[in-house]
Amino acid sequence: MSPLLPVLLGVPAVGAAVLALVPLPDRAARWIGLVVTTATLVVAAVTTARFDFGATSRFTDVVDVRWLPAIGVRFHLGVDGISLPLVVLTALLTMLCAAYTIGTVPDAGRTRQLLALVLLLEVGMLGTFVALDLVLFFVFFEVVLIPMYFLIAIWGGNDRGRAATKFILFTLLGSGLMLVGFLLIYSGAGTFDVVALSRAHGAGIARSTQLFAFVLLLLGFGIKSPMWPLHTWLPDAHTEAPTIGSVLLAGVLLKMGTYGLVRIAVPDLPTAAHDVAPALGVLAVAGIIYATLVCIALATDPQADLKRLIAFSSVGHMGFVLLGIATLTATGIQGALVGNIAHGVITGLLFFLVGGLKDRYHTSTFREIGGGVLAKAPVLGGLTVFAAIASLGLPGLAGFWGEMLAMLGSYQPAQTLSRPLFVVLMAVAGVGTIFTAVYFLAMLRRVTYGLVGDAWRERPLRDVIATDLIAWVPLVVLAVAIGVWPKLVLGISSGAVHELLR
Amino acid sequence: MTHWAWLVPALPAFAAVVGLFLSRYVPGGPAVPAIVGTALSLLVAVVLLADAESNPGAVHQTTVPWTPLDGFHLSIGTRIDGLAAVTSVMVAIVALLVQIYSTAYMAGDPRYSTYAAEVSLFTAAMLLVVVASDLFELLIGWEVMGLCSYLLIGHYWQTEGARSAAVKAFVTTRIGDTGFLFGIFVLGVAAGSFDVGQVVGRASAMSHAAVTAGALLLLAGVVGKSAQFPLHVWLPDAMAGPTPISALIHAATMVAAGIYVVARLYPVYLAAPDARTVLGVIACLTMLGAALAALAEDDLKRVLAWSTVSQLAYMGAGLAVGAWTASIYHLLAHAGFKALLFLAAGSVLRSVGTNLMSEMGGLRQRLPVTFVTAVIGAAALAGLPPFAGAFSKDAILTAAREHGGALGTAVYAVGLVTAFVTAAYATRFIVRTFFGSYRGALDVRAQVHESPLVMTAPLVVLAAACILLGAPVVPNSYGVASWLDAPTGTVPLHLDAAGVVLSAVIVIAGSAAVVALYRRRPDEDPVTVLGHAATPLVHAFWVDDVYERLVVRPAYATARAMRLTDDSAIDAAVVASGQGTSAVGALLRRLQNGNVQAYVSGLVVVVIAIVMTVSLAVAR
Amino acid sequence: MSLTQAIDYAAISPPLVIAVTALVVLVGDLFVPPGLRRAFAAATSIAGTAAALGATAWLATTSARHTFCFSSGGCSYVVDDFTLFFQVLFLGSALVVLLLSVALFADRRIPTGEYHVLLLSSLAGMLVLAAARDLLTLLVALEVVSLPAFVLVGLRRGDPRGGEAALKFFLFSVVSTALTVYGMALVYGVTGSIEFGHIAAALGQLRPHRGAMAATAAAGVVLVLVGFGFKVSAVPFHFWAPDTYQGAPVPIAAFLSVASKAAGFAGLIVLLLDAFRPYADVWGPVLAVLAAVTMTVGNVVALRQWHLVRLLAWSTVAQAGYLLVPLGVAATAHGRSDVVLAEAVRATLGYLGIYAAMNLGAFACAVMVSRRSPRGAITDVRGLVWSSPVVAVCFAFFLTALAGLPPGVAGLFAKVVVLQAAVHGHVTWLAIVAAVNTVIGLAYYLRVAALMFAGPGDPESARSARLRPDGAAAAAVALTAVLTVALSIDPQPLLHAAGLASH
Repeated sequence: MSPLLPVLLGVPAVGAAVLALVPLPDRAARWIGLVVTTATLVVAAVTTARFDFGATSRFTDVVDVRWLPAIGVRFHLGVDGISLPLVVLTALLTMLCAAYTIGTVPDAGRTRQLLALVLLLEVGMLGTFVALDLVLFFVFFEVVLIPMYFLIAIWGGNDRGRAATKFILFTLLGSGLMLVGFLLIYSGAGTFDVVALSRAHGAGIARSTQLFAFVLLLLGFGIKSPMWPLHTWLPDAHTEAPTIGSVLLAGVLLKMGTYGLVRIAVPDLPTAAHDVAPALGVLAVAGIIYATLVCIALATDPQADLKRLIAFSSVGHMGFVLLGIATLTATGIQGALVGNIAHGVITGLLFFLVGGLKDRYHTSTFREIGGGVLAKAPVLGGLTVFAAIASLGLPGLAGFWGEMLAMLGSYQPAQTLSRPLFVVLMAVAGVGTIFTAVYFLAMLRRVTYGLVGDAWRERPLRDVIATDLIAWVPLVVLAVAIGVWPKLVLGISSGAVHELLR
Repeated sequence: MTHWAWLVPALPAFAAVVGLFLSRYVPGGPAVPAIVGTALSLLVAVVLLADAESNPGAVHQTTVPWTPLDGFHLSIGTRIDGLAAVTSVMVAIVALLVQIYSTAYMAGDPRYSTYAAEVSLFTAAMLLVVVASDLFELLIGWEVMGLCSYLLIGHYWQTEGARSAAVKAFVTTRIGDTGFLFGIFVLGVAAGSFDVGQVVGRASAMSHAAVTAGALLLLAGVVGKSAQFPLHVWLPDAMAGPTPISALIHAATMVAAGIYVVARLYPVYLAAPDARTVLGVIACLTMLGAALAALAEDDLKRVLAWSTVSQLAYMGAGLAVGAWTASIYHLLAHAGFKALLFLAAGSVLRSVGTNLMSEMGGLRQRLPVTFVTAVIGAAALAGLPPFAGAFSKDAILTAAREHGGALGTAVYAVGLVTAFVTAAYATRFIVRTFFGSYRGALDVRAQVHESPLVMTAPLVVLAAACILLGAPVVPNSYGVASWLDAPTGTVPLHLDAAGVVLSAVIVIAGSAAVVALYRRRPDEDPVTVLGHAATPLVHAFWVDDVYERLVVRPAYATARAMRLTDDSAIDAAVVASGQGTSAVGALLRRLQNGNVQAYVSGLVVVVIAIVMTVSLAVAR
Repeated sequence: MSLTQAIDYAAISPPLVIAVTALVVLVGDLFVPPGLRRAFAAATSIAGTAAALGATAWLATTSARHTFCFSSGGCSYVVDDFTLFFQVLFLGSALVVLLLSVALFADRRIPTGEYHVLLLSSLAGMLVLAAARDLLTLLVALEVVSLPAFVLVGLRRGDPRGGEAALKFFLFSVVSTALTVYGMALVYGVTGSIEFGHIAAALGQLRPHRGAMAATAAAGVVLVLVGFGFKVSAVPFHFWAPDTYQGAPVPIAAFLSVASKAAGFAGLIVLLLDAFRPYADVWGPVLAVLAAVTMTVGNVVALRQWHLVRLLAWSTVAQAGYLLVPLGVAATAHGRSDVVLAEAVRATLGYLGIYAAMNLGAFACAVMVSRRSPRGAITDVRGLVWSSPVVAVCFAFFLTALAGLPPGVAGLFAKVVVLQAAVHGHVTWLAIVAAVNTVIGLAYYLRVAALMFAGPGDPESARSARLRPDGAAAAAVALTAVLTVALSIDPQPLLHAAGLASH
């Protein structure tokens, strides 16, 4: 019984309340935002320090108190090797967003409310990763919706209203069905406790019920992830969201879906998982090919929007994560987890950079940006090149391990699954990696290289400022560190993953 | 000593980091870290080589655990044998010369510091491939090389040519690399480990299917990196990069890596004869095709590019027929003369400011050093004894004839024909560049001068290398061969006088033919004698156009179609469901028109309906 | 059948107190000087309600009480946990409504005295209804609830809308009551008793058989439900609700949407479980379908509403659908088992409790907004956060709660409870329909909430748009807000009480 995780959730919650209620001046709000998020990150760091890396499958800093006995719900928190990396990633990204906000605020202003919502968002994200009770998980899962909705609807681009509504309705549809799935699990297994459920491995839940529940969960988590063809809320949301909104959306929110699959759907409904896995794998790979092709089309269309391109690239990358899960092997799920982290780091960085471009060029369409960013703003351009290269899965950078392990997993999937099918899926996914290279290089060719657009030939352009670097450099370092030394993530999760599949 | 081997790739890598971020704090500018880093790496490599020579056949492996992986435990480290030691020395020498040469060649380039750092990284990546003890570790170096080639080919990114060439190089090789990755999967899973030593050791024990599949998949990556048909298309375009980069890519890094990996994992290929046959066929096609393309090319650098493709095919063919040592010998020889030729070409371009031989000619007086060294390089390329290329090539052909069976005979025949063509285009390139009268726009006397010492010195060094590498005529006493400690089951290095004489005659015939044509019409391109027959050569047999029609355009079309689908089908469906609901709302709302009679009667009707159904249901 | 026996006045104290209070107000209104009338009426009513609340609190500490008993043993008036749960609910919401009404009489178009008297008498009816355990008492109580309500709706002088609203309300009430009475007649005819215990027994013997008698009983059962379907404004008995809510004074709309609806559910549940239990397989499917249709129609139509109160009216229709969902479990054999049915009732009661808090809160905010802009269009709330941030935040909070989304966690718990009951009762399809409905619901709740936070308002318009200060209404908002927040953090006490009440 340690107070650490309640503190982890409490710090940002209190911060959000303070910022929401106390009419502070703008600058004060910015610094409070940074202080609170930093404090949260420190708590996350302490949690990591206290974590027992010897037994990564055991939950540490557990809080488990009776809450709503009437409906069998407990207030049960804890971290293990699967959730810890995501917790740290969340705390870090939110802190970086706050740091970025010190220097750059969306045009709509209202910084105090913006940061209040970001902190509320953080509560939801962290809560989702530490909750060990299905209903509690569901509560936190839903907590993120309203803040993100307003983030898009108030601070977003021209078409923000539509995008925000689409985002929240689409996601709620998923989570509503997911809740029904949870209740089906409860009606079978008689508990909401995640630990007990994953230990029971579906005991007491009829096969048909399992299948039904799994499909409902897959809809919920699939929409969040997003899984093709349930992805269409994502490009709009990302395109319209403000920079930090996109960063957190891509960096953390999508992970909640894949995390849910790994933490809840697969271990709690094992037989259904084996029944559905082939379909999931096919959808995942379809998503990879589909998204990468759409990205190629976007990257070669001068009218297209850079943010939309990055958004679609997320669909492809998460496809690899889903493929890894679909293999139901330790290798594949390891790949999914490291892929989650890598995508959070790299795509987070990409959205920061695209946001930086948008702030400077006041547009994010290829045509209006023109080209030659490397000539106008070398550092910004160089970082963009790095991020794009990292995102196309270059070995030696974080992105590689997720894709590689997902494919290695599908080269030898779980015994119950059809190996030929998954080998084909692996091959098709491999084609996806080629397409990924194509569109990222096409994007660089348009934006960073080439000649400076006429509109900007004479005008000077501000290169990166201090707060930009403070927000971005850690992500660059992480992308390299994880790429060179994947043990940073794989070492933590491996034990826990084996426990899940036992 | 060998547990310091990690320094070989680490030092240039470190130099790259310093050059990229701290070069402005380094006294003497960005050149210093680049050159020092490479030089130190060379030093370590030489020590390793001495070590390898002192106890031949020994393999020194130093590893540390890397990351846990279900079933496997990846470890990262170095695996030093004769092959690795020799190759790393070769790489380090060429890289060092390129760095030195570049200080003058790239002088005044605004992005020189980035350039130097990228060259260092490129070198580091290649050296990582050379010493890697784990397949994924090797893959990192392999792909980072692809990245560096992308960045350096695109160095002049203001020009459209450079941009597209860079993308083309990365994507084309990436296609092969996907196969390479799957090859690693297959072999690693079959061997139960991704350790190079384990994979090589257990190759013979693997199932025939696994080892063949693995070998073929790896071959895809090799074909891409070593620019063999059908993935050769990126190399000629890559000439858009700075000339020293061409030297680096063609002599020491990128393309050499493909051949090196096959040699490194050779037991796998010994266990997979079908894979070797495929390699041999590809090599034969590439060998002759590329040579013919070189014959008709007017762009000096593209001539050299095609010659690289052709020469690497010789090595591929050698590995296909088991002539392992001969192929490595040819790899080293090629590194020498190809680096020499490119740096010489660079010196020429710098002086006359064009790539086109039709705008050169008669430069031998103006660029004496370049001329002499270029002639030596050309001779080595053509395979004229006693230069390096001659013996290495003949060793391959001899092995093919004696041990290759049917495939070997084919290799031998194609090899001899290619030798003739090679001699022809090598001679043509010398004649067109240095002889006859100057055809360019400049005022030769006033504006064309020999390059500075930092550029000519490397030429001389490399020219010397070409001679030395070829010097010993009795090959079995040949040093390199003994250092390499070839895998068992390969054909030892062996020459027979008849073979050497025959190919020498062919070479002389080839160049004599070109010289004769030149004598007849000094100012005309000798290739014009072919007339219309030259057309397919000029277009390199239209391979690019075929790809454009069959792959690129369809892919883009599909992409656009997908995007359309997303907007007008999937997303449309989502939006429609929303609007539909809202429309239903409007409809029901109209029912709520405030007309009480309607409500009440409606209510009564509904109630009666319910009552009827229920009571009927119960009554039955 | 004789009623000559001692009456347990303690048991009937809550309705008694309210009735007395009503009389006091009525009489006092004649003598109190005009200047003080408003204060007097309001204060007296509030005091009386509070007193009644105290009475229920005391009753809660004692064991169950029965009075007006039949010689046969059954009793017409029973005070058990079920009764008390609803009585507290009624009194609590009445208290809030009274607070909201304080400022209602400023324009002197609504007679203070009558208003309070009528409100209190309707309330008294509810208190009895919750305790009624025979058909007649139930019917009488139902009418006592309804009749004052008609007048209240149309009480505002010189307001044609109010009159029309009242008329519609009246007509519907009459028709549905008629159908109910007819149904009761049939049931009595078949079972020969008005007492729930006997009815259940008789129906129990009847149900296994086929034929005319069973069918007649079934028809009776269904017809009886109609009256309550009208009270809870379930589709298709909902037609009156939007027009009536829109025409009535907003506090009355709030009263109808919570207290009166809850009364409907009280009657419904007690009838279904105590009297008509053997016919669960008959009314179960009917309720399940009604639930699905009600929430869907309510939500879908609400999507296209531009009048604030009217939108809230449709939302209450949808909420009635959610409230019916648990009772739908009776559609399946598994759902008809005692345990599951008890759980279903608990779910409905729990949802009712949370619904009362959040919906009253929403209406309270609507009251404050409608004072500012009588037009009552949704767009009136645009930029509310700049003029009155607190109200805006509270309003948004209540709306998210109604949508069942954090920060309105209370609403989320309510949904969980209801869906849990449905899934546990094996009517998963109904749960899925409900889940999909929450999406439609969110669409319009969010539209209003987003408007309130839209656009950076310039201080000038903000000052002009500031709401008129209204202490009582503010108190009502605060009260409901505190309650909803508490329920968002720990709904356990409520769910516990609901659990007790459902056994």
